Amino acid sequence: MSAPITLTSSDGVEITVERAVAERSILIKNMLEDLGDSGEAIPIPNARLPRVLTTWQVNEAVLKKVIEWCEHHKNDPPTAGDDDDNRRKTTDIDEWDQKFMQVDQEMLFEIILAANYLDIKALLDVGCKTVANMIKGKSPEEIRKTFNIQNDFTPEEEDQIRRENEWAEE
Amino acid sequence: MPPNGKKGQAPAKPRRDVLASLRMASMEEISKPPLPAEIMSSIIDYLGPVDLIRTARSCKVLHEMVYDDTRWIGRLKRIGCWDESDARRHIEEVYGTIADVDTVEQQEAAGQEARTVPVIKVEKDVSAISDGFDKIDMSNTARATNLLDDAADDPVLDVLKQARSIRGEARQEYGKIHAALAPFYDNIGSNGPSTENLVFTQYKDPQAQAKILAQLLNFSKCDLTTGWTERVDRLERAVSMFETAALNEFRNAYEKDDIDATMRKYAHILWTLNGGSSSRDLFIQYNHLITRKSQLGSVADCIHSSGQIKTQQTQAFFTRLSVGYNEEVSIMNRVFPSSLDVATPFMEKVGQDVLYPFLTTIFDELHQSNLESYLTAISATFIQCMNLSESLLPIRNSGDKFEQYLDSVVCKIYEPHIDLYLAEELDHFRKISEATVSEWDRQLSEQAASTESFLMSNVNRQADKRDFLTSFKKVIMMPVNILPSFGTKTEAKSDSETNGNPVAPKSPNRFSTISSPVTPVIEEVPTTELAAKAAIMKTKMEGIRSLFSIEIALGLVHSAKSSLERAAQFVRLGGGFGRAAKQQCEAIFVDLLRTLGHRHVIIGFDKAVDHLSNYRPREQDDRDSSGVEPLVTFLELVNVGDLILQMVDVFYEQELIGTRLTDRNDFLNPAVKEKKKFEQMLDERVAAGLNKGIDVLMEEVDYILATRQLATDFNPGVSSDPHRQTMDVSLSEAAIAVVNVVSSHTQMLVGSTDKSTLDVFNQEVGLRLFTALCKHLKRQRISVEGSLKLISDMNHYFKFVQSLRNQELLLYFKAFRELAQIYLIDPSDAKELATIIADADRFQGIWRVEEVYEFAERRADWFQVKSGVERAMYGAGCSVM
Repeated sequence: MSAPITLTSSDGVEITVERAVAERSILIKNMLEDLGDSGEAIPIPNARLPRVLTTWQVNEAVLKKVIEWCEHHKNDPPTAGDDDDNRRKTTDIDEWDQKFMQVDQEMLFEIILAANYLDIKALLDVGCKTVANMIKGKSPEEIRKTFNIQNDFTPEEEDQIRRENEWAEE
Repeated sequence: MPPNGKKGQAPAKPRRDVLASLRMASMEEISKPPLPAEIMSSIIDYLGPVDLIRTARSCKVLHEMVYDDTRWIGRLKRIGCWDESDARRHIEEVYGTIADVDTVEQQEAAGQEARTVPVIKVEKDVSAISDGFDKIDMSNTARATNLLDDAADDPVLDVLKQARSIRGEARQEYGKIHAALAPFYDNIGSNGPSTENLVFTQYKDPQAQAKILAQLLNFSKCDLTTGWTERVDRLERAVSMFETAALNEFRNAYEKDDIDATMRKYAHILWTLNGGSSSRDLFIQYNHLITRKSQLGSVADCIHSSGQIKTQQTQAFFTRLSVGYNEEVSIMNRVFPSSLDVATPFMEKVGQDVLYPFLTTIFDELHQSNLESYLTAISATFIQCMNLSESLLPIRNSGDKFEQYLDSVVCKIYEPHIDLYLAEELDHFRKISEATVSEWDRQLSEQAASTESFLMSNVNRQADKRDFLTSFKKVIMMPVNILPSFGTKTEAKSDSETNGNPVAPKSPNRFSTISSPVTPVIEEVPTTELAAKAAIMKTKMEGIRSLFSIEIALGLVHSAKSSLERAAQFVRLGGGFGRAAKQQCEAIFVDLLRTLGHRHVIIGFDKAVDHLSNYRPREQDDRDSSGVEPLVTFLELVNVGDLILQMVDVFYEQELIGTRLTDRNDFLNPAVKEKKKFEQMLDERVAAGLNKGIDVLMEEVDYILATRQLATDFNPGVSSDPHRQTMDVSLSEAAIAVVNVVSSHTQMLVGSTDKSTLDVFNQEVGLRLFTALCKHLKRQRISVEGSLKLISDMNHYFKFVQSLRNQELLLYFKAFRELAQIYLIDPSDAKELATIIADADRFQGIWRVEEVYEFAERRADWFQVKSGVERAMYGAGCSVM
C-alpha cells in the first residue's frame, strides 16, 4: 500500500511521493482505486480530462507546494460531515497553514485552484480563508483590484447598495 | 460556471501571454473574478457582514452572491431568530399555495391562535421595504410586558424578538440586528469585560443590561471571523461578571428577606440573561429550608429508647417540613418568572438533602435495633410522606405533572429501602407466624407429655376397680365445664376482626376454644391403670380442640393484616416497586395460608382424625348421655376449622380483593391457588374426620343397643317382676339414648359444613343406624305384648330420621315401622301374618320375603305360629298351584 506514487506535473516534472501523501487528494485517491496497482506514472492533469487540461494546470511549482502541504497534513483525521450547517465555520487558520500561505497572490490563487481540482477540501478551505482575511477591511475598489475585476456598476447602483446597507458602515 | 480562459495578472509565464489579448478583450465586456464562482462563494462564506457588503459593492456577480438570501438566513438561524415555519407561513400568506389558498389561510388562522411564541405578523407590503435600517414599528410589538422594564420603549432591547422570518428579506432583518447589537458587541470584543462597557454605560437599568447581554450572547454565535473565540470569551466573561453581581444582589436580598422587590427583580434579570438557572441553583443551594434542616427535628427524637418509632414525632417533622416548604414555594411563586421551573429541582433537593438523610438514618437505626418498629416506621413514614405531598402547595403551571413529580421524588427516597423492607416484612411475618405456631405446638406437646407422665406415674395396679369409676367420672365431667369460657370473647374478636363476618348466628360456646391446652384432670389424680389410660385418651380428645385454635388463627390473621397493609402502601408507587409490593402482599397471604393451614389447622385435623380412629369406646363402659365425646370435639373442631376458613375468606376479600392487590379471576395467581388448596385440604380433612366419626358414632350406637336394651323391653313375659304393667307403650331406654346420641351429633354439623357434605353425612348416619337397628332387632325376642313398645321405638326413630329431611332415608324407616307390625299380630292369625310377610310392597322392596321371614322368626311365640305361617305361605301357594 505504501508504494511511492509518481506524479507528473503539467510541465512534465515527475515528483515521487508517499501514497498516503498523494491520497490527501480525493481525485488521486479515486484514480488509484480505479487504476489499481499498475505502477504507472499518473500524469497530472490526466489526458482523460481534456477540459481541465487546457484550462487549469498544475505546474511544478504549484504541485510542489501542494505536496508540501499534503506532507504536513498526511496524518490529519479525515474531515467528516464538513457540510454540517451547525458546525461553526470560522476563518481561524492554524499557524503552520498561515505561514504556508504566505505566498504571492498569484501562487495563492494557483494553490486554491489546484486544491479545488485535486479535491483537497482542507487545503481549499485554508486557501479561501486566507483570501477572505485578505479582503477583510478592504474597500470595494481594493477588492476589485485583488480579484482583478471591473466595476460594472453605475454610480447610482453603487450608491443604492451602500444605502441599502447603512448598518454596515463603520 | 464554465471556466473561462482569463487568468490573473501573471505576465511571467510566456504561455499565458499568448492569451493576454483575448483576456483583455473579454474583460472589457464583462468583469469576472479570476477564481471560479463556487470558490468565490466559499471565500465569501468566511467574510464578516461588513466586508460582505463591501464585497457586494465591488461588482455585480459578487453583489448577487452576497445578496443571496440563504447566506443571511444562515446567520439569522445562528442567532436563533429564524423561524422556518413562520417563513413558510409568510410565503403562503403572500403568494398562496399551489393547492388551495383559502384552506391554507384557514389553517393559518387556526395555527396562529395556537402559537405560543409571539411572532410579529408583518402587514407591510414586502416590496416596500428597501431600507434595511428603517425604524422598527413599535405598534406591532408582541413583547412580554414587564414592570421592571423601564426602558421598554428602546427597540434595541428587543431587536432579536422583533426579527421577522421572511424569505428575501433576511439581509434586511440581519441589518437591523447588526445595527442594534454590533456596537455593544464590538465594544466588549475589543475592550474586554469591564464596568465601562458600552452596555453598562448606555443602559443603567440592570434589566435592560441583562436583555442586551442575552441578545449579545445569541448574536455572538454568528461571529465567524478570525478572533471570534477571544471576542466570545470576552463577552462570556462580561456576562458572568454581570451574573455574579446580580446573583450577589439576589442572595443578599434573600438573606434580608427582601423578597418582593429586590429578589424578584434580580430573579427576573437573571432569567432574562440566561434562563435564570443560576439564580435557581443559588436559591436552592442556600435555601433556608435546607440550611436550617436541623430545626425540623432530629432523628434521636423520633426513636424511643426502647427502639420504638415515635410516629407523632416523625409526623411533627413532616408537618414542619410542609410548612417550611410551603413558605418557600410561596417565595418562589413571587420571585421567579412563571416559566422558570424552580419547584421541581427544589423538591428534588428537599427530598435529597432533608428527607432522605433523615429517613435513612431512622431506618438504619431501627433496622439494627428493632425490626418490628423498622417495619412500622417504613410504612408509617411512607404514609406521612404521601400525606405531606398532598399538603404541599402546588406550583404554578405545574398541573398534573406536579403530582407525578412528587411521587417520583418520594419514590426516589424510598427506592433504596423498599426491597429490603419488603423482604423483611415477609420474613418478619413468616417468623412471627412460625414462632406462634411452634410455641403452640410446643405447649401442646409439653402439656400432653406432662399430663401423660403424670397420669401414668400415678397408676396403682392393685387399686380397686371401683376407684376407676369415680375418678373417671370426674375426668369425663370436668372438660365440659371449660367449653363456654372463652366463647363470647372470641366471637366478639372475630366479629370485629372480620368486619361483619357472615358466620354470625351460632351459639358462642360452639366454636369456643381455649388459648392453651388446659388439662383439667390434673387435680383429680386418677389412680387406676384403666382410668389413667382413659384419662389420657380423654385428655387427648379434649386436646382436639387444642390442636388448633381460633386464637392462634386470629393472631396470625392479625399480623398478616398489619404486614399486608404496611406493604400495600407501596403499591401506589406503581411501576416496578408497585408490582414488587403487590407480589409481596400475595406472598404474605400465601404464607399466612401455609402457616395457618398446613402447619396449624391441617395438622390439627390430621391429629384429630388419628385420635378419633384410635378411640375405643368399649374401653369406657360408663357413658353419659351427652354423646360420643371425641366425635363431639371433632365436630366442634369442624366448626372451628370452618370459622377459620371463613375468616381467611373474609380476609382475602377485604385485604386482597378489596384493595385490588390481586385479581379474583386470575386462577394462576399464587394467592388464589393457595386459597383453593387450603379450602380443598380442609374439606378433605373434614370428610376424613366425619368418616371416622361415623364409625365411632355407630360403635357407640351398637354399644348402647347392646347394653341398654333389656330383654324384657320387647318381651315382658319373661320378666320376673310381678308388678309389671301389661301393654307398656312407652319408649325403651335404649331407643331414647340412641336417638339422643345420633341427633346431638348430626345437629352439630348443621351450618358448619356445606350442605352436600352434611347430606352425605346424614345419609350415611341414617343407613348405618338402619343396619345397626336391623342387626339389633334380629338379636331380640319380641312378644305380642312387647311389640307395642317396639312400634313406639320405631316411631321414635322414624321421627328422628324425618328431622334429617332425607326422603330416601325415610323409606327405610317407614319400612321399619311396617315391620314392627308383624309382631303385633296375634298368634292365631298366622295366615294374616303370612300375608304381611309375603307382601314385599309393604316394605318398599327394602327387604326380600326371606328377610322379613327372618324378622318374623324373632317373635317370642314363633314356634307356635311357625307351622301356621308356613302353611299359609307355602301351602296355600301350593294349593293355588
